[in-house]
Amino acid sequence: MSLAWSFYIATVLVYLGVDLMACWGLNLQYGYTGIVNFSFIIYQAAGAYTAAVLTLGPQTAGSFQQYVGGANLPFPLPVIAGGIAGGLLSAVVGVIALRRLRSDYQAMVFLVISLIATAVVTSDVGLFNGPAGLSLIPQPMSTALNLSLVGYRWFYVGLTAVICLIVYAFVWRITSAPLGRSLRAVRDHEQGAAALGKNVTGLRMTSFVVGGVIAGISGAVLVEFISAWSPGAWLYQETFVLFAAVIVGGTANNAGVALGALLVPVAFLEGSRFLPQFGPPGLIDALQWVAVGLMTLVFLWFWPRGVLPERRRIIQLPGQQQARTGLQRPVDYEKTAETR
Amino acid sequence: MTSVQRQRASSAAQAALLRVDDLAKSYGGVHAVAGVSFDVPRGRITGLIGPNGAGKSTALAMVAGAIKPSRGSVLLNGTNVAGWPSHKIARRGLARTFQQSSDFSGMTVTENLLTAPYGQRGDTLRGALLGRRYWRAEQESLTARAADLIERFDMARMANEFAGTLSGGQRRLLEIMRALMTEPEILLLDEAMAGVNPALGARIEDYLLQLRQDGLTMLMVEHEMSVVERLCDPVIVMAQGEVLAEGTMDQIRSDHRVLDAYLNG
Repeated sequence: MSLAWSFYIATVLVYLGVDLMACWGLNLQYGYTGIVNFSFIIYQAAGAYTAAVLTLGPQTAGSFQQYVGGANLPFPLPVIAGGIAGGLLSAVVGVIALRRLRSDYQAMVFLVISLIATAVVTSDVGLFNGPAGLSLIPQPMSTALNLSLVGYRWFYVGLTAVICLIVYAFVWRITSAPLGRSLRAVRDHEQGAAALGKNVTGLRMTSFVVGGVIAGISGAVLVEFISAWSPGAWLYQETFVLFAAVIVGGTANNAGVALGALLVPVAFLEGSRFLPQFGPPGLIDALQWVAVGLMTLVFLWFWPRGVLPERRRIIQLPGQQQARTGLQRPVDYEKTAETR
Repeated sequence: MTSVQRQRASSAAQAALLRVDDLAKSYGGVHAVAGVSFDVPRGRITGLIGPNGAGKSTALAMVAGAIKPSRGSVLLNGTNVAGWPSHKIARRGLARTFQQSSDFSGMTVTENLLTAPYGQRGDTLRGALLGRRYWRAEQESLTARAADLIERFDMARMANEFAGTLSGGQRRLLEIMRALMTEPEILLLDEAMAGVNPALGARIEDYLLQLRQDGLTMLMVEHEMSVVERLCDPVIVMAQGEVLAEGTMDQIRSDHRVLDAYLNG
């Protein structure tokens, strides 16, 4: 394998890790809780920005870029702070959007919030340095490790994999616990859940903020890798790529969603790089968006449950023989959660 | 008021698990419910009947907290819960079923039941993150309770089917079972027999009678008079947002105001 390929593959793998985390976070909100969060990308962006400024170090006079709250924290801290920033921002947005509104109106509010956020950050240069954003963000541990360019990329792949595993374990604990069931109850019938004593707004907030934390972490992992942050890279369209991944893969199925993250943002969007160029410049990019939109529509129409649909969680009841249904065999309760 | 009357009144208050007083809901100038008062005695099935648009379901929804009343009080075990959000009322021991079934369609029958009890150990973020060891024992005992209900309601065949694949009648049954999982003091039923085939309807009736024998208090809105006749005592008749009459089915039947309301309603 040539160095260029090795470099490219490592880069794609890091992107895959970032998308995996983002899709699990969005799946928690949309797949499990039914929150149509069209503003997902801004929590990712907030996490990325936070991690960036906490890595860049304090701002020096006459620097070519301006930012808020610069510091020079050692590696895992900027990522953790990114998660906190994503969580805090989603808590603020959640308080406004998740109470009282019906879910279709919530979706509109989220989309509008995403558009407003981009407009404000891009226009007000004094705030986050406008469209130029941030650059030259030091990569974590790069000086200490002193690896080659490609070697460092592969090191970062490992780092991303570890963070991915932690995020997955976190999501899995929630979705396999009674809490995961309550979230799905809210998704399936809000009033029915409330009539059972479930605090619907509280459950939605929990899912929304945890999703926001995961979004923030994923953004932080990405920005530490690519060393740059600009508002133009975090537009609302990116949220729809993640939605496409969740819908194609299979909502409320963490494995399905992982497959979706592999299929849509990675296999499909990266794969289209290798198409022969045709038409005016930018045509292929534009067609990508069209294709992502069409893919979402086609799946919602024909396979609304995705490639790997939400699984049926078989629970063996004490003292009862149950017929085998399809390929799924009854198992003990303790073994049920999240096994296919 | 004589001392005997006073004594009777106070024992009636003790017997009433739910006491609704001057409960009203208006939308703009329209009075959906124009100040109704009634008692739901402990351990009995109280019927709430009336022509379409009488305000029965609105009254029930206000009692359960799904609709905020414009005025009035709802005393549940002596606490005024009027205007509380439904989850807080539910935690006080009031369970309900809905006119349109409210099953969690993407979950199996067993999961629907396991979801129901409030305050499970693994139902908070902290509990969930603490992991299986923290909440497994409780889940096992809930699973046993669910298994008992499934057996009692003869739903074993459907236990691991998605609720969304059940028939209309089975969904009604599931809703009742789910409400029972919360071990309520009072169960509100909003047209539990609507759209249910006669055989299953008869079964639901039997179950409700059994539950009454077990001491469960119920308040049911029902259109099918024969069902009301067999199950309910007392019966409250509503028309045009007001309580028209109250009493046993025999008393109600001979009340000319009730006949007028049904014929003119």
